[in-house]
Amino acid sequence: MLSMKNISKVYQTEKVQTHALRDFNLNVDEGEFIAVTGPSGSGKTTFLNIAGMLEPFTGGDFMLDDVNVGTLSDNQRADLRNQKIGFIFQGFNLIPDLNLYENIEVPLRYRGIKSAERKRRIEECLEKVGLASRAKHLPQQLSGGQQQRVAIARALAGKPRFLLADEPTGNLDSLMARQVMELLEEINREGSTIIMVTHDSELARRAPRNIQVVDGQLADFTLYQNKAMDEIAAKAGQPAIEA
Amino acid sequence: MFLHYIDLSWRSMKRTPLVSMLMILAIAVGIGVTMTSLSVYHMMSMDPIPHKSDKLFSVQLNTTDDGNNWWTEDDVPLQLTYKDAMALHNADTPESKTASVRALFTVHMNNQEVKPFLASTRIIGHDFFTMFELAFLYGGAWTSEQEAAATPVVVIDEETNDRLFGGENSVGKQIYLDDTAFRIVGVTKQWRIHTKYYDLNNGAFNSPESIFMPITLIAPLEIQNMGNTNGWKYEEINTFQERLQSELFWLQFWVELNTAEELQNYRDYIQAYLVEQGTKSRFERKIPQFNLKDVNEWMQYNKVVSADNKVLVGLSFLFLAVCLANILGLLLGKFLRRAPEVGVRRALGASKRQIFIQHLVEVSMLGLLGGVIGIGIAQLGLWGVRFTSNEYASLATMDIKMLLAAPAIAISACILAGIYPAWLVCRTQPAIYLKTQ
Repeated sequence: MLSMKNISKVYQTEKVQTHALRDFNLNVDEGEFIAVTGPSGSGKTTFLNIAGMLEPFTGGDFMLDDVNVGTLSDNQRADLRNQKIGFIFQGFNLIPDLNLYENIEVPLRYRGIKSAERKRRIEECLEKVGLASRAKHLPQQLSGGQQQRVAIARALAGKPRFLLADEPTGNLDSLMARQVMELLEEINREGSTIIMVTHDSELARRAPRNIQVVDGQLADFTLYQNKAMDEIAAKAGQPAIEA
Repeated sequence: MFLHYIDLSWRSMKRTPLVSMLMILAIAVGIGVTMTSLSVYHMMSMDPIPHKSDKLFSVQLNTTDDGNNWWTEDDVPLQLTYKDAMALHNADTPESKTASVRALFTVHMNNQEVKPFLASTRIIGHDFFTMFELAFLYGGAWTSEQEAAATPVVVIDEETNDRLFGGENSVGKQIYLDDTAFRIVGVTKQWRIHTKYYDLNNGAFNSPESIFMPITLIAPLEIQNMGNTNGWKYEEINTFQERLQSELFWLQFWVELNTAEELQNYRDYIQAYLVEQGTKSRFERKIPQFNLKDVNEWMQYNKVVSADNKVLVGLSFLFLAVCLANILGLLLGKFLRRAPEVGVRRALGASKRQIFIQHLVEVSMLGLLGGVIGIGIAQLGLWGVRFTSNEYASLATMDIKMLLAAPAIAISACILAGIYPAWLVCRTQPAIYLKTQ
């Protein structure tokens, strides 16, 4: 489904070359929930940006649903991103002038979905994240946790195959972080593939599969495949995360 | 999606009202100044009779000796002598033709009730009315018989009819021009033309005359013309008859030629006429020289739009460019400040093209608003021009073309200024901003 082979990313300044990723190999299957951990500056976000086609890679092969991403034009990448990928950011990245309904509507508009269908999906997603009654509120009228739920709803509205989350609970207190994590797990159970970058090892452990990025390379695979999904679901209701 | 972009643009303007207002004002002032000069230029250079301007020809004959200089670009006098004008006027060809000259008369009713007043009068052949498309309110032009017999008849315009007869049908009534009684045969509707193209001697932008009388009355009434009279050699002229037979140039002559064949035939006719006149020792010229210029060629030949006006239009566009440079700077600041939001939109699937168009729609909206306010400023400018003593003050108006052109120019100008900032912002790498927001 997602395959990276020998991916490298080099940031070039006048005198210095910085290797953000090198020989990065990863295969992600449909329905997986992967937590990506690693120290600051290790390349986690760079990996996520490349996975989300938000920035180009320097070398290697990247296949997404049998599409060779390296051969796509900018517009084709934008289309593919819009069709297949949903983003959840640490800073929520909601557009302040737009109310919740309109924020969720943004990716749907770019996809050219008709108004009635947009409305149906937005209402469904707002319902899912428990903010149906706040559709006309502006982001700044909500708490951080609520804003992140809106961001999740926005990511879900496009029915993406991949959900890429960059420190989705990084700006939240523990209670809100737990609620967001439970929501992500629920979304994963419904079939979405999730790749989540996090610093929080407790949070990472809740994901069935962990990968660690160190110095731009995949350093260690810790597969929690022995954990049955229902175990994770059982944990979902507990305050497992220590903020 | 276009409506959505308009909605986003409106929100963006509301988010930064001061900057938006500054940009709108800058474009409005630029457009206001530009449209003021452009409107005057447009009215000056506008084809005054577009559907037949290529069929009406001013006739010029060079009946001077070889080597004689004139102030026209080809040394051909602008007007004709009386004998030439009348010879062409009385010729069989073409079907529609008219000699034409302006005079001034005191109009009165030979009673105490109406105060006498001076009226600008055009002395013409009866074809003039159809050639230049004057419409009649009452009656019509005098007949060819009346013209041939030099009958004292006149056509007056609507304004004069209102003044003398309270707007009633005055056909058949009498008025006095100086000491002569004239019978009114027609009343024209007010003739509204921007450029007095049929006679550019007395101010290209003056109003048309209010009274019209047959050309054949010049001789019996010894009518003195108002306008230019030019000679090219010494002549003893002591009587009016001598003036009529002189080589002085003081009449205009127009013909209507509807086909290329008619034009060629008339060229041949004029050529033959000049050869014949040359043999009468009126002038010594080896090769006959004449011009047949249609309305637009005639206006260009007479430099109706002066170089100064063109320079003024150029300067006003330069001012618009300065305004645009300011707008470009403001747009750069505004758009680049929005790069994080653009990063989010790009991450959510917006293509560069969509981001580019969104921003161009926003600058177009700024242009539209600036253009509309600019029309108001241009109206103020034109109002100011109308209060000056410029000969073209009466032209300081905006027609529908200019009213539509103002927002179109404003939008185009804003798009021009907005292309670079929009291009810059659409190249935003989303990854740079998503983490930092």
